[in-house]
Amino acid sequence: MHVTRLKYVAILIVMGLCASTAQAVKPPLNRDTLTEGRRIYEQACAWCHGIGGEGDGPAGWFIGRYSSPRPRNFVKDGYKLRSTASGELPTDQDLFKVITRGIPGVMPSYRSLNEQERWQVIAYLKSWNPAFKEEQPVPLTFPSGPQGPTEAGIQNGRNLYVKYDCRVCHGDNGEGDGPEATAGHLRDTYELPIRATKLTDPSSFKNGASPQDIFRTLMTGMDGTPMPAYANEFAGQEEALWELVWYLRSLSGQEGS
Amino acid sequence: MPSKHAAIRAAITGLALLSGISALSVQPAQAIPAFARKYTLDCVACHTAPPRLNTFGERFLENGYQLPGTEDGGITGKKSLGDLSLDDFANYTGVRLRGNVLRSHHFKQQNPPIADRGTVHNNSEFGFPEIFSLFTAGSLTKNIGFFAELESNLEESSTGIERAFMTFNNLGGNNLVNIRVGRIDPSATFSFSTLRQQLEFVGDSVNTSTNMVQRAGLFPLAASAKFYGLHNRSGSVISPYAPSLYNAVAETGIEVRGRPFGDWFMYQIGLLNGANETFGDSNRGKDVYGAVRFDYARTAHFSASLSGFAYLGNSNATILTGTGQADVNWHRYGIAAHVRYKMFDLYGMYTLDRIAHMPTAALTSFDTSASGLSLALDTYVTNRTLLSLRYDHMDAGGDLSQRTSQSFAGFQLKQYLRSNVAIFARTDHNLRRAEDGNAAARNLRHALFAGIDIAY
Ligand code: HEC
Ligand code: HEC
Repeated sequence: MHVTRLKYVAILIVMGLCASTAQAVKPPLNRDTLTEGRRIYEQACAWCHGIGGEGDGPAGWFIGRYSSPRPRNFVKDGYKLRSTASGELPTDQDLFKVITRGIPGVMPSYRSLNEQERWQVIAYLKSWNPAFKEEQPVPLTFPSGPQGPTEAGIQNGRNLYVKYDCRVCHGDNGEGDGPEATAGHLRDTYELPIRATKLTDPSSFKNGASPQDIFRTLMTGMDGTPMPAYANEFAGQEEALWELVWYLRSLSGQEGS
Repeated sequence: MPSKHAAIRAAITGLALLSGISALSVQPAQAIPAFARKYTLDCVACHTAPPRLNTFGERFLENGYQLPGTEDGGITGKKSLGDLSLDDFANYTGVRLRGNVLRSHHFKQQNPPIADRGTVHNNSEFGFPEIFSLFTAGSLTKNIGFFAELESNLEESSTGIERAFMTFNNLGGNNLVNIRVGRIDPSATFSFSTLRQQLEFVGDSVNTSTNMVQRAGLFPLAASAKFYGLHNRSGSVISPYAPSLYNAVAETGIEVRGRPFGDWFMYQIGLLNGANETFGDSNRGKDVYGAVRFDYARTAHFSASLSGFAYLGNSNATILTGTGQADVNWHRYGIAAHVRYKMFDLYGMYTLDRIAHMPTAALTSFDTSASGLSLALDTYVTNRTLLSLRYDHMDAGGDLSQRTSQSFAGFQLKQYLRSNVAIFARTDHNLRRAEDGNAAARNLRHALFAGIDIAY
């Protein structure tokens, strides 16, 4: 990691900026915040996530029907969309991002709630899971990428795609049709069948489709799904992981950053 | 067929094929109508199976096409109109093409030669899906929304505005007062919504020379008119199968609705011109309706509601007396409920109709009350296969020489090829004895349909 330390700086500054603007309206954690959070939650989120946050709202079943995903159970589930290491809780910023952007196909963007309301609802949903009180989730820090992809880099990314068996789930060309996927072996933690993302369609990426987003997804994995975290495999080899990112981008004809 | 119809048919065919092809060629997350596109959601975020809404979809509708609990004014609504792009247009516009490619009606005995379809006993035909609708809807700005639906129906050779209205939401506070004004469907937010059926309407057939029903329509009969020999104020016959009053597809008027005490209770009050009347009607009075709805929708993948309405007509229909036409007041009372649990969606309604203000001379030949019951169950048997059942019963009223009570059971399997493209096969059965008369609706013994339902 020491090699790329300098490259963290840019990212950290950007993250710091985001944090401070969003933090500006983040209300203190008190009774009023929770009461407001609850009101918003019950009018906006409970339809899918359930009034008690258990992911069993009256509309939630139809989203996946007999397959994944179900709305998140805030009482006991882990989280998919994080900047933290696999197995950890998300940061407040991560939650803020999900609620702001929504999740393609299954959950709308809540830009229509003002920022303060989004923070209030976050405080409320965190109150269900005691682990949020005990742990202080820390985001992994990521180096910024090299200037842009090279022909050779993309080729190397392709080799990594093969080497790390991404093909087994996502298919040889990223169409989501790998042998594990077509055989129906992929399951989420609830044993519900889950599809391997079609990597040629970045608009369906839940965690964002910018190079930085994809890099983060590969480092953190998507907890609760078969999508592994590759932080260990690529520890100290971030350059190589970037090449894999560029390769994934090239699958949908996107080059550069 | 007159050439004008042929031209319309050709135009619609072209449009429909185009929409069909484009629907098949786009990505799943986008291959869905307006709202889904606008919020990048799959259809089933709001629908149990289109056009049925789940609880989230119901509250979205009630909130004037804004996410429940928010006043989003539409994501694109925040732009000024000058900035609207084609994408934004797509975010507001959807099309649906549906109908039967094969239909087959089987009769015990059909009609005498004077009837418009001759003496055919059984009748099977291939066709092009009959109903093409184009709708545009959304919120223009915070709490102001609109909905307009243009429907072209080949079977009825009609094209026109079905529903078109404005919505004004959250007046005076969250969900306190919501207003809809224009051509509205009063039952939109009821536990049993006329327009949200898995088993599509199949039109009745009327003998054009005698005005007698010779083939039963396959409708949710609780929502239907149920009277034989009732006319609207412009003098044309109201089919006993026509969805009407509170359960009309669309009537002109204004309505106020809200949930002032929280999600568990809804009120609704409306004022309409009356059966099939447009703006500037000649009516002496207006029709009024009121409804209440109780909801439970919290956890365990479960929701239920119970609602009731009263619709009081005011000179909203006429009947023929020996000497001419007389205005009558046509009222309806109904209760409905829904229960949804995981893959099951069960809903039903019972209605009771009464004609008041009958001229005494006509009373001996006219039954002034009628009732109807519809019960439906939809269930996903697999992720992509939807099974639907419906039971309909009509205890008909009206002209004693024509009135026929009837009960039908319908059964449908719908297979979703994609989230917005489905094919279906359906069969309907008459549960009562045939009547064998000249123009007996009940002689329809069973019917078979196969068709498609595409939304884009
Ligand atoms: C239409 C249904 C729906 C509504 C409404 C909804 N969600 Fe979700 N939400 C989902 C689904 C489904 C998932 C799980 C997606 C997945 O696992 O891929 C989810 C996941 C989440 C997650 C977890 C993301 C992660 O990292 O795993 C959060 C946080 C969340 N929702 C918050 C909210 C909040 C806050 C609201 C209300 C403001 C809300 N949701 C409203 C359907 C919904
Ligand atoms: C064991 C099967 C499996 C393997 C191996 C696997 N993935 Fe995945 N991947 C999944 C599944 C399942 C999802 C979908 C998770 C979801 O939708 O919740 C996914 C999602 C993704 C996503 C989309 C993330 C998003 O934002 O929605 C990307 C990108 C991705 N994988 C890349 C890769 C790459 C690159 C590799 C190899 C280094 C890889 N995956 C290996 C199963 C796998």
